[in-house]
Amino acid sequence: MDAVTAIAPSQVLHPRGAAFTPETSRAERRIGLLFAASGLALVLLMGLLGITMRLTQADVIGLSPGWFYRLLTLHGAGMITGVLLVTMGALWYALRQDVPLRAGRMLAAYWLIVTGALAVLVATLAGGFGAGWTFLPPLPFYPAGQWTTWSESLFFSGLLLVGGGFFVYCLDVLEQTTARYGGLTRALGWQFLRGRDGTPPPPQAIAATVVAIDGLLSSAVASAILTGLLGRTYDSGAGVDPLVAKNLVYFFGHSMANLAIYLAAGAVYVLVPRYAGRPYETTKAFVAGWAGSLVFIAAAYSHHLYMDFVQPTWAEAISEVASYGALVPVAVVTIYSLTMLVWGSRYRWTLASLLLYVGLAGWAIGGVGAVIDSLIPLNFRLHNTDWVVAHFHTYLILCVVLWCFAFLAHLLERDAERTTSAAGRAWTAMLILVGGYGLTGTWFLAGLLGVPRRYAIQPPGTSGYSLAGSIFALVLALGFGSLCLQLVRLAREAWERRHYVLVAHTDGWTGGTYRVRVPREDEAVPSPAPHPSVGLPLERPGELALGAALCVVGLAAFLPPVVRASEASVGYHHLDHAGHFFLGTMLGLVAGSLPVVSRRLGPRPTLGLTAVIAAPTLMMLVMIPRFYEPLEHQPAEHAAYHLAMVAFGLLTGLGASRLGRVTGRLAAFLAVGMSVMFAAAMR
Amino acid sequence: MTLRFGEPQVAIGIVFGVLALVLASAFVVIGIQAGSEIGFQRVHDVGYWIRKRWLALLLVVGVVVVGSTLLDLPYSSGSDAGRTLVRVTAGQFFWSLIPDSIAAGARVRFDVTSVDVNHGFGLYDPHGHLIGSVQAMPGYHNLLDLTLTQPGVYRIRCLELCGIDHSTMEGAFTVTPR
Repeated sequence: MDAVTAIAPSQVLHPRGAAFTPETSRAERRIGLLFAASGLALVLLMGLLGITMRLTQADVIGLSPGWFYRLLTLHGAGMITGVLLVTMGALWYALRQDVPLRAGRMLAAYWLIVTGALAVLVATLAGGFGAGWTFLPPLPFYPAGQWTTWSESLFFSGLLLVGGGFFVYCLDVLEQTTARYGGLTRALGWQFLRGRDGTPPPPQAIAATVVAIDGLLSSAVASAILTGLLGRTYDSGAGVDPLVAKNLVYFFGHSMANLAIYLAAGAVYVLVPRYAGRPYETTKAFVAGWAGSLVFIAAAYSHHLYMDFVQPTWAEAISEVASYGALVPVAVVTIYSLTMLVWGSRYRWTLASLLLYVGLAGWAIGGVGAVIDSLIPLNFRLHNTDWVVAHFHTYLILCVVLWCFAFLAHLLERDAERTTSAAGRAWTAMLILVGGYGLTGTWFLAGLLGVPRRYAIQPPGTSGYSLAGSIFALVLALGFGSLCLQLVRLAREAWERRHYVLVAHTDGWTGGTYRVRVPREDEAVPSPAPHPSVGLPLERPGELALGAALCVVGLAAFLPPVVRASEASVGYHHLDHAGHFFLGTMLGLVAGSLPVVSRRLGPRPTLGLTAVIAAPTLMMLVMIPRFYEPLEHQPAEHAAYHLAMVAFGLLTGLGASRLGRVTGRLAAFLAVGMSVMFAAAMR
Repeated sequence: MTLRFGEPQVAIGIVFGVLALVLASAFVVIGIQAGSEIGFQRVHDVGYWIRKRWLALLLVVGVVVVGSTLLDLPYSSGSDAGRTLVRVTAGQFFWSLIPDSIAAGARVRFDVTSVDVNHGFGLYDPHGHLIGSVQAMPGYHNLLDLTLTQPGVYRIRCLELCGIDHSTMEGAFTVTPR
């Protein structure tokens, strides 16, 4: 009989890295690849739009301003969506080795986001929508002949779907990390910080829990403002308060863009140790740093409103402190600590590990530009100039996008069991660094010169910066082209090795040895079973009593004096509707938390998730004057409308009760918060 | 009008350039050192010792920089008394300033608003330096206090995306010699 011996695979990880590299299941690998490949395809496409715009600013190509702003809007929304997709996949892949995240939820998030991205694509390219991806209200409703009403609706719906997909993802992460580690404070590592737990969660779990909380907050804010604007597209009587709307838009826009980098950081804590051969440990400083990030990520957004002098000064001051504060944990526990892992480690240089390392520098350098811009007296001279474009492109292109590629390269290198040539990697890195820093350098200079951002036509005498930027952008494109070629080669080999195995074959007759390719047996790494939702939002008698008391408070929304007072303004009127919704939500939460009702309802987490997303959204979509004003003179119908608000709340509360103790409470809180924010933004 | 680098912007550029170079150099050195073999315990001990100092440095710099900048906010305060009020109204795609000229050295309060969408009131001095900005928001009045000593024509550019002609939305304000 022939002797058959498996050939040892080539090593792509650090010799000690195997200790931090568990086998992946098919679901982890496939979902990782799906998110990485789809997101990066979107990023590359949006990058081409970016080059087109820069060439237009350089007067090399003659794109009309109308098309320039369509592409600008698509470029911004598409890039954020693309990097969000990849970094969501990366953290999911990194976290699943410890936390049993649900593949079904991940795929639901994927399809929501992809559908949303397609809607944005159609709204901009076919519908002409060009109000920027930050669409500061009321600009979407002043198209100056450039876009149609349906394109506004489609754009807002698209972003709603993207936000909805991210909400689904974050809710699953939070549900599973809190179930896995025994509650929210344990998942955040706070019990370890206080000395009550001996073993903390791994770094990626703490990072994921923080990102999930801030992600849920920003998705809820997105839902409130986007539904309000969607309502405005079919009811021109609905108004929007520009200052409140700007706060909401930037809360979610800034947070989403920011969270992409924090999502990636969570994955980087897992990936870098595999090449450095050293573990990234959870320390008390790490836990404290991420506790700070939890607050700073949410509080920093207001620096986009520094030049809105009517914004309260204390809010601007908090934002400046938070913007600087956000730098500290990033600089100390992430960037510095990761360089500690690399230092003197005999770091295994591969395509993935090179991109991971270079990305650290991009975050550090871009971060310095961001902190300079976050100082109010300096922002006075830099606000909305190309300086802003410069610093966020530095940490997006030269950190987040590189880490996105690193994640894909890591997946492929592991499967291919090899990396690319040293020369190929060096050329690629050189092209990306020269092109990337050259491109952002032209923006930094133009920003200092006072060139405004988002100009289709550059101020006289400044197109040279755009021309130089375009040349660097083309060099950068060459770098990414070279990177893609290497990844395609790796992908082919990965596919080959995934499906076939080379074995040494010794011929029994001749005694000669040669390699043969035989189909590989599918590995049997099982997917972990997800934790069931743990606990009920209101369990103890005191909690149920508090819930019942809040229901009584909610009844105040029906009191005649309150109803009369609510007629003073549209905002108060909507606040009264939010009160009805609050009453319903609390009723649902209390009822769903009663053991007798809970047993009858059964686990049903998917139904619960659907309810907490759909019910508040529908409630806000019908909370517009066009629907409720005709009813105001017909008491029966008017009462039925208010009861419908309660019913939407009831569904939300019952749905939240199916999501476990922590996520259920948070989902109910966010739903009520959305209705209040909606009331504040509309007028 | 040709744009030029203002003195504050040059200072910002130098600070940023130096910090970026220092960081880039550090990453090159760490990248080179990554190939060597140093015991993790030693890296651990020395690294955490340095990390504490690094944290302390960032906190001290933060207190000094954030603290000093919070004492130098550009927001207007006090009444209009002693100031020339200039009403600035923005719209797609125009600037209206009433009055549109003042004498050099006068203390000006720009009362900035918009009739339609958000715009950005970016003020460039006669040499082409961006000397400051404030947002023009419909339904709100942002007050910007400045003392303009340099005679000449000041240009206004829109600094907030406001539609198709955003990049050509310009205005002018004249400061006459006293």
